[in-house]
Amino acid sequence: MKDVIPIQTNNTETIAVSKNSKNIYQQAIDTFSNFCRARSLFVLHYCTGCGAIELPPAMTSRFDMERLGIQPMVTPRQADILLITGYVSIKTLKRVILTYEQMQGPKYVIGICSCTVNGGMYWQSYATAKVLSEYLPVDMYIAGCMPRPEAVLTGLQQLMKKIEKGEANSWENYFKRYDYYLGNQQHLFGDTWHTPTDILEEARHYHLYGAESTGNNTARLIKYTVEHDLTKLDAPLREKDSMTKRGKK
Amino acid sequence: MRAENYQAVTHPESHEFELNFGPNHPGIEGNYALKVRVNGDKIVAAKADGGYLHRGFEKLMEGRLWIQNIALVPRICVPDPVPMEMCYALGVEDLCQFEVPERANWLRVLQLELSRIAAHLFTFGGHAATVGMYSNMFWGIADRDLILDMFEQMTGGRVYHMYTIPGGVRRDVGVEQLDKISDLLDYLEKRLSDYDNLFFNNKIFIQRARDTGILTPKQALSWGVTGPNLRACGLAFDVRRDDAYLCYDQIDFDIATETAGDALARNLVRRKELAQSIYIVRQVIDYLKKDKSTHIRCQIPNPLAWKVPAGETYTRVESSKGELSFYIVSNGGEKPYRVHVRGPSSMHAVQVLEKLVTGGRLEDVAQIMFSLDACPPEVDR
Amino acid sequence: MVWDQDKEATKDNYASQTIVLDQILHELDTLNIEQKNNQRFRVDVSAEALPALLSLLKGRAGYTQLSAISCVDWEDEFELVYHLWSYETKVLVSAHIRIQYTPAVYVSVYDIYTPAGFFERDIYEMYGVYFEGSPMMEKFILTEWHGPAPMLKSFDTLKYVNDMFNWQEYQPDWLKEIQAKGGKVVS
Ligand code: SF4
Repeated sequence: MKDVIPIQTNNTETIAVSKNSKNIYQQAIDTFSNFCRARSLFVLHYCTGCGAIELPPAMTSRFDMERLGIQPMVTPRQADILLITGYVSIKTLKRVILTYEQMQGPKYVIGICSCTVNGGMYWQSYATAKVLSEYLPVDMYIAGCMPRPEAVLTGLQQLMKKIEKGEANSWENYFKRYDYYLGNQQHLFGDTWHTPTDILEEARHYHLYGAESTGNNTARLIKYTVEHDLTKLDAPLREKDSMTKRGKK
Repeated sequence: MRAENYQAVTHPESHEFELNFGPNHPGIEGNYALKVRVNGDKIVAAKADGGYLHRGFEKLMEGRLWIQNIALVPRICVPDPVPMEMCYALGVEDLCQFEVPERANWLRVLQLELSRIAAHLFTFGGHAATVGMYSNMFWGIADRDLILDMFEQMTGGRVYHMYTIPGGVRRDVGVEQLDKISDLLDYLEKRLSDYDNLFFNNKIFIQRARDTGILTPKQALSWGVTGPNLRACGLAFDVRRDDAYLCYDQIDFDIATETAGDALARNLVRRKELAQSIYIVRQVIDYLKKDKSTHIRCQIPNPLAWKVPAGETYTRVESSKGELSFYIVSNGGEKPYRVHVRGPSSMHAVQVLEKLVTGGRLEDVAQIMFSLDACPPEVDR
Repeated sequence: MVWDQDKEATKDNYASQTIVLDQILHELDTLNIEQKNNQRFRVDVSAEALPALLSLLKGRAGYTQLSAISCVDWEDEFELVYHLWSYETKVLVSAHIRIQYTPAVYVSVYDIYTPAGFFERDIYEMYGVYFEGSPMMEKFILTEWHGPAPMLKSFDTLKYVNDMFNWQEYQPDWLKEIQAKGGKVVS
């Protein structure tokens, strides 16, 4: 395993939602869809850690998330928000990543609890992942051990504002900088880590394929899929990959 | 998955397939998984898969000071954290030979019983949701929140209080606060009949829960089940009475039992325990109001250089899920040498759950899990 | 079967308990009993005699519940502690045995106490002590862990964590102010 991963916070690059390149109708539609999007958010029902115990009060009659247009949703495909409620053990992190990749864009990740920021109370534990934003692009952290339902609601409201302004775009980072995220994932789960979702293909689909989408780590993934004859998975990957290389020349 | 990745499944002759029930499943309690083999909707075999909440608690505790561990222990069981603090504190007190003031013990009982009420409300709220009765879930969680408010006023924390420390408790509770708690108890007592009408006497619930997941007394004993699940089979065992700690031997309460051993009986036991806990808290409030002493903590050494005498001790506490025990070994150092946590759910959330689910129907899995009150963080630690 | 509490009867029970345990003591000569208080007994026994002791305690003295099996790593040997509870006499007996460090193997008591299955699997995962004859020796919690048995004293979590994970920088303004005045974070 490699020893050092350079720390990069994923907020270093601001994603240019270059309004200038779009014409006025496109801008209007974007604004409108952002407005709508912010008002109907589905939260994936997945409790990863102890912070999840404050979600039932936040969802039910006392604090009532639904008045903000936020509702729990049971399948990842239909959910918009992935709430990471607390520490993620490495075993859970794998499932979280699989789940995240299944969600449709635009998707948002909120790290609730101090444990997702920097390991929190379990900083010393061999079994939990420490900095969540190394493995997934996180839109917002709600710190606290554990944050009260009011804090959760405030966090969600801030996310809504961000969405409305069109600033909550960190999900695009996952495609643009897939190599970085994949590298960190491989560091933790071993070089044979692979998921059924073809991220590079999706990146192309969303027009988010960038210079940092591929690199050493994706090469390792592709090599693995070739070696293990997951040809169905790797065929389009290899093809397109060589195409970009040719394109670069 | 992309379209070209999809491969048609050729059906085996048995028509059995494997279903991952959890960890990302609305019917599962916490972050836990069951792998079930189903034939149609009948379950042929089941296998529990834990470890999603594993943090290596026992290892972490070995690396921290005795005083630091107070903050760590309640996190072992999220819905019912007070017994964890209690059990740890009892163990350390036993090793250090602390004389705990009487008032502190009563304050601890107050916390323990309120926590039990909160946990039970949460559990049968969850159970109601699994049979499709969401209003009861909303009620249960909202009423539990009122108890959390009391906790907040008494200790400063909603869910984790770190209130019980070895040697006593952190703060005293004033008369005004006690009045507020007894008002809350009045309210809860009134609500109990509402719960009866809405849930416990509800035909939907009774028909779904009766004869589901039956545990016979013999099975319960041989599988090491404790707590409400054991009492639902007619066996009256309660650590509070039989291995009395704190001042439970001075308190009057009944041990709620049922005989059927099914999901319905387990819930009825919890329902009776709610009433019992309210009754206990009332006695505690009376005592605390009469008692004029302000001594709530014995002298503890400098926390940063606190050395606990060498020895080992096994302490048990009745949590809302069953018998919780800590085995604490000290070698005379500043940190515990070994702490073994025996979560009550480790018995009924693994072997028993697997066995009860097998042979039943898929839609009952969630129900059985909630009726057993399985708490995955306790199993994984 | 309802266990009632009659205070007088319980006291008699405690007394008779000592007698029962004494009788068992005579049958197994490698036994050492220590009474800690009314409801706690500590028994030290040799590893070979433990299964016999457990079956005697279960069959003759009514110790029907295996409350827990704890494992302690003493760096040159393992200590296994079997906590047994009797519902009738309300007494808890902890049976301590010592087993060698390598190879760490012991026999399963699953046939006597079913709950042992869970604890033995747990100890195997966390300490690497193998229990012969236990039906559930596959992994449960650490299914995706490939390192050494984590609860061993020789496994250093802090070092592992520092090798494996990065930390996020945290430099808030208030900390900078304090540092400018000469303060620092003590760790
Ligand atoms: S921050 Fe606290 S409440 Fe949240 S997951 Fe960590 S320990 Fe649990």
